Amino acid sequence: MSGIEKIILDEYESKRLIQQYGIRTVEERKITSLDEAVEFTRKTGFPVVLKILSKDVLHKSDVGGVVVGIQNESELENAFDKMSQKFKGKAMLIQRMSKGVEVMVGGKRDDAFGYVILFGLGGIFTEVLEDFSLRVCPITEADAEEMIQEIKGHRILKGYRNMPEVNIQEIKNLLLRVCELMEKERILEIDLNPVMVADNAEVVDALIIKEA
Amino acid sequence: MDLQAIFNPESVAVIGASATPNKVGFNCLESIVYGGFQGKIFPVHPRYEEILGLKTYRNILEIEEKIDLAVIALNQYTTTEIIDDCASKGVKGIISIAGGFREVGDEGKELEKRLVEKAKQYGIPLLGPNTLGVINTDVNFYSTFYPMKLKKGGISIITQSGGVGLTILYKLMEEKVGVSKWIGVGNRSVIDFPDVIKYLEKDPSTKVIGIFMEGTERAREFLEIAKKVVLKKPVVVFKVGKSKKVDFSAQTHTGSTVGDYNLYKSAFKQFGIITADSVRELIAKCKALSLQPVPEGDNLGILTISAGPSIVILDMIADVCKMPEFHEKTINKVKERMGENPPLVIKNPLDVAASGFMPDDFRALSEAVIQDPEVNAFLAITIQHRHWRFPTPEIIEVVKNSSIPVVVCYPAEYKVVEKEIEKLAENGIPAYSTPEEAAWGIKGLFEYKHIKERFT
Repeated sequence: MSGIEKIILDEYESKRLIQQYGIRTVEERKITSLDEAVEFTRKTGFPVVLKILSKDVLHKSDVGGVVVGIQNESELENAFDKMSQKFKGKAMLIQRMSKGVEVMVGGKRDDAFGYVILFGLGGIFTEVLEDFSLRVCPITEADAEEMIQEIKGHRILKGYRNMPEVNIQEIKNLLLRVCELMEKERILEIDLNPVMVADNAEVVDALIIKEA
Repeated sequence: MDLQAIFNPESVAVIGASATPNKVGFNCLESIVYGGFQGKIFPVHPRYEEILGLKTYRNILEIEEKIDLAVIALNQYTTTEIIDDCASKGVKGIISIAGGFREVGDEGKELEKRLVEKAKQYGIPLLGPNTLGVINTDVNFYSTFYPMKLKKGGISIITQSGGVGLTILYKLMEEKVGVSKWIGVGNRSVIDFPDVIKYLEKDPSTKVIGIFMEGTERAREFLEIAKKVVLKKPVVVFKVGKSKKVDFSAQTHTGSTVGDYNLYKSAFKQFGIITADSVRELIAKCKALSLQPVPEGDNLGILTISAGPSIVILDMIADVCKMPEFHEKTINKVKERMGENPPLVIKNPLDVAASGFMPDDFRALSEAVIQDPEVNAFLAITIQHRHWRFPTPEIIEVVKNSSIPVVVCYPAEYKVVEKEIEKLAENGIPAYSTPEEAAWGIKGLFEYKHIKERFT
């Protein structure tokens, strides 16, 4: 996709956009002070996650821009101070910790194929083991079902050891909605990774690159 | 894009025809003559008076009659220039054979751009450049520079490589199965995959389309057309390019994870296109699909004289069909033939060992399996022996009285089994000399059944 002006939406903006298409995102708040962070936890409780929010830092965990499993106010204060020092003057996101099985949904506009959508179990499953499925958009519900069945790790979604069975219909709905939003919003690339699935599918992190 | 002049010209000019057999230009002309083309042939060469007994013209404009198709066997530079003369002559199609265009770098890219601009400006469908051309057995038209004659049949081939395209043809000859059209799309600069499958969709003598593909910028268009084509006739693709690098400029994980090859494979599945991973698999599937009907159910019945080959086959087809238990009537028929306590277990696959060595026994047992009400497709396996002949006439006889698809597997030396394969193919029965190829044949039939169900 050369010669096209791109806009990068940060995590917060990306989530606002996908919400418009009925996609559920994890409860979160954009903050610039510790007070705001504490106030958020008064409503949601612990554990929470603190993340840097900046277009300069697209892959946050690679540079220490994510602290997970914050259990109380003193841990929160520590995490906030560290992040403030590391990424001076940048906003942060505080999020409730989401539970479920981790999956990822992604998409891109391909020169030869047009919009394509990807589904995988996220993390090393997708990138190292190359266990993911692809389709050309738009997809039908049957295509979405096939995408889920096609990955080698699909049995994990049916409940395995201490992991509960997840709501497959929610994943199908998510795949269909991502196809729809890619076309309508002229998206070049989209990553919803991870998405935590239990009874619902909840997007925990999102990154969107759009055509300007 | 109208490809009529490319596939079915009434008159052809061979520009760059030569009288020297080691030149491409000679072989191009000889191919057309040797193939038995009944249309008019005009060799063009600046010095010769006559080549292969045909009056030769100094340039295409000197020809008094109209010319449908110009086959250009000149180098890449003169090819680009000669297009103007072809346009003045009013040709309706051009085949541009020479390489040396975009596949060789920047200079070639520039040259190709000029060639394409001219073809588009004149509105002439151009095949290539960098192609062997076309074959249409309906009218005995062979424009390649590999003179040959093919058996007529229902398979049409689109190939991006001349070399693999020829490999496919020679394998089809070995398989004794006939060809309708063969087209090398070369650099795909004007005529590309979508244009050709659109033509073949409406071509009455094409029963199945086999494709060798490296890739196309018009992938989406190809898929959309193929989705419609597969309702009428199966499309089987052998796609290469597994090692093609992914797009590392991508900023998301998705962008860098999606490889080109994966995308093609997934899209083929989504749009009802059957895939193959080798020339052998491509041909095995095309052969069965061109000769046999689609099974009406998911059940396969197997008769074999050795368990092993059927196990190899079952491993390869487990995801596309089922092995039903035989009906009581079938079991009784087998017992009738073999006696009340035959030395075998009467189940599917029916491994009869020595009880099936004699052709007449093989016929009776085949009939029993093929007539089983639960069986929707039949596979017969028997192996070459120095003293016992193959039950070919018996199988042909049994199949004549049945409407279900049949595939035969004769593990054997090719020179021994060749005549049997030919005889069976002439009677519309695909036979293969290895279990793998037989499995691909069966798989192709069931895959197409599932595709038809899904899209209609």
